[in-house]
Amino acid sequence: MRARSLGSRIGRALKWAVFLLAVLALGGLLAFLYVVPPFDATSPEEYARLESTAAPQVNQIRDPAARLIAERGRYLMITSGCAGCHITPGPRGPAYDMYLAGGTKLVHGQAGTSVSRNLTPDAETGLGKWTDEEIKLVLRSGIRPDGRQIFHRFMPWPSTSRWSDEDRHAVVTYLRTLKVIRHRIPDPSREATIEDEGAAEAFYLHNYGARD
Amino acid sequence: MRWVGWSIRLGLACCGCALAVFALWQSVRAAQPADTATPVQAGKVVYEQRCAYCHGASGRGDGQVAANLQPRPLDFTAGKFKLRTTETGSLPTDDDLTRTILEGMPGTAMPAWRGRLRPDDVRNVVIYLKSFSPRFASETPQPIVAPMRSAEPAAAGTPGQTASRAAQSVTRGQATYGRLGCAACHGADGRGTDAVASGLTDDWNRPIEASDLTEPWTFRGGPSARDIYLRLRAGMSGTPMPSFASAASEDELWDLAWYVESLARAPIWRMTAAEIAAFYGQQGQAWREEPVRRGRDLAVTLSCAECHSPVREDGSRIEELHLAGGMRFRLNPFGDFVSANLTSDTDTGLGAVTDEQVKRAVTRGIRRDGSRMLPYAMPWAAYASLTQDDQRALVAYLRTLRPIANRIPSPARPALPAYLWGKFRMLVLGIDPPASVFPGNAGLRP
Repeated sequence: MRARSLGSRIGRALKWAVFLLAVLALGGLLAFLYVVPPFDATSPEEYARLESTAAPQVNQIRDPAARLIAERGRYLMITSGCAGCHITPGPRGPAYDMYLAGGTKLVHGQAGTSVSRNLTPDAETGLGKWTDEEIKLVLRSGIRPDGRQIFHRFMPWPSTSRWSDEDRHAVVTYLRTLKVIRHRIPDPSREATIEDEGAAEAFYLHNYGARD
Repeated sequence: MRWVGWSIRLGLACCGCALAVFALWQSVRAAQPADTATPVQAGKVVYEQRCAYCHGASGRGDGQVAANLQPRPLDFTAGKFKLRTTETGSLPTDDDLTRTILEGMPGTAMPAWRGRLRPDDVRNVVIYLKSFSPRFASETPQPIVAPMRSAEPAAAGTPGQTASRAAQSVTRGQATYGRLGCAACHGADGRGTDAVASGLTDDWNRPIEASDLTEPWTFRGGPSARDIYLRLRAGMSGTPMPSFASAASEDELWDLAWYVESLARAPIWRMTAAEIAAFYGQQGQAWREEPVRRGRDLAVTLSCAECHSPVREDGSRIEELHLAGGMRFRLNPFGDFVSANLTSDTDTGLGAVTDEQVKRAVTRGIRRDGSRMLPYAMPWAAYASLTQDDQRALVAYLRTLRPIANRIPSPARPALPAYLWGKFRMLVLGIDPPASVFPGNAGLRP
């Protein structure tokens, strides 16, 4: 009788312990979900540092004239927020080591789907084979080498159209110095997926490109 | 069971015939516009494919993207064309229109269509866009019959004599530049320095800037002395640039064209390192002296209006709310955020916000109440790299924005369960919900 009651007491205590653990685990998960990703825990200065150091320096350029021009291009690329779409999205925010390798999906109800391009000088998946004039035409008029017009809500080419010709030249000079990253971007298609009713456009921060 | 095999063969034959008929019909239909369409109809097809995005289907310069562009795409219905070889007030000739389409307009978003459009298409588009203005039906523009001089001001003589005559021509041109008052808009140095005319507008009452005469690669109608002569002689309709045909003689205009051509500086891609450093230094100095002008360009190139000017469903801007905020973003699972009103309205805009608070929001993502923005969609981490001068310039420009009352609602956080569920999907299941943008103005206008 005593032994049974001791056993049942232990059993009851165990049950309570398990229940308590479950509550703690659930609470922990909810608390984790509540605070993570801890945007507020990272200082504004740290975000700014990540953003600017992702853009490689131009010190390695031997020609002093090209270096000065590329430095201006770097300033324009960083401050104009090009990385916002053209840096490859990672599982927890931007993949800072995939600077301007593309892969963010953008959807606009009427214009369809677009995936941000790989701007690194890779010959097959990036801008390696594009001429300077072809890149400048995209920045000035939003026209791709194949003649297709880029929709301005995908790539804000009217903004880069306001750069002077010399600034566009500086941006192209800088793009040519980037690390080559092989990252194949799928061709834009017409299919669109916007989950929110009434939304006109959406951007998906997954990596829609393929590293091969 | 032989009939089964026969019926399959018959069925296949029928399918084949149907396919052939369909293919033939398709090819006939595809070939039709080129064969039977009138030039106007063919031009309309090309226009709607290639031109309407900027110039609008109605030709009024009001395409989907028009409000984003500076300078604005031309309104063809007004019958005012900048680049002409005809007298002031006249329409352009077909050759003028063709030339503008083929060569594009440097310094604007209008590209050179040479090699991008077939000659037939260009011809048809010219015919079609003339149908936008009734003036083309009643007028026959004639090119200016004027001594179109050759490439040298004085072709005859030894190289030394030619050079000295050219120098004399340039000197006379400089005097004409002063006499005709070119410096009022273009500045004494051609770069707009000390120009007295400010706030220039075009015939549509939109701000317009006098050309920098030291940058011939931005001249809308081309960089040659002949191109410059034509702009002086014929004027640029729709802009403050008049014709000087009655104010100066032919010789004076040609001398002036030579003088303007002589003002050209080298572009940075032809400069040495020392020249580039000096040029960037001068540019920085000019920007410090005119922060509002620099800030106006920065506001465009930093794409402020991409989020702070609400858009319609087709992606076109609601112009009367330029930089007045109101674009609603759903950043799942963090909630709904509405872009701020950047105009100087005291109640709803930045009127009562200090310069330091604006800079703190732009470069550190901290709102005026001290709360922090998410690291996206506002790219404050990118703007953090702006130089102090550029930050000052941007604020100086924002201060000049005409107040527009548009009360922006506070961010709407989702209910706690929805927030936790969204986070669970994002962090545990790895489903990244899209950040959505909603058309229309989410602000409250009085």
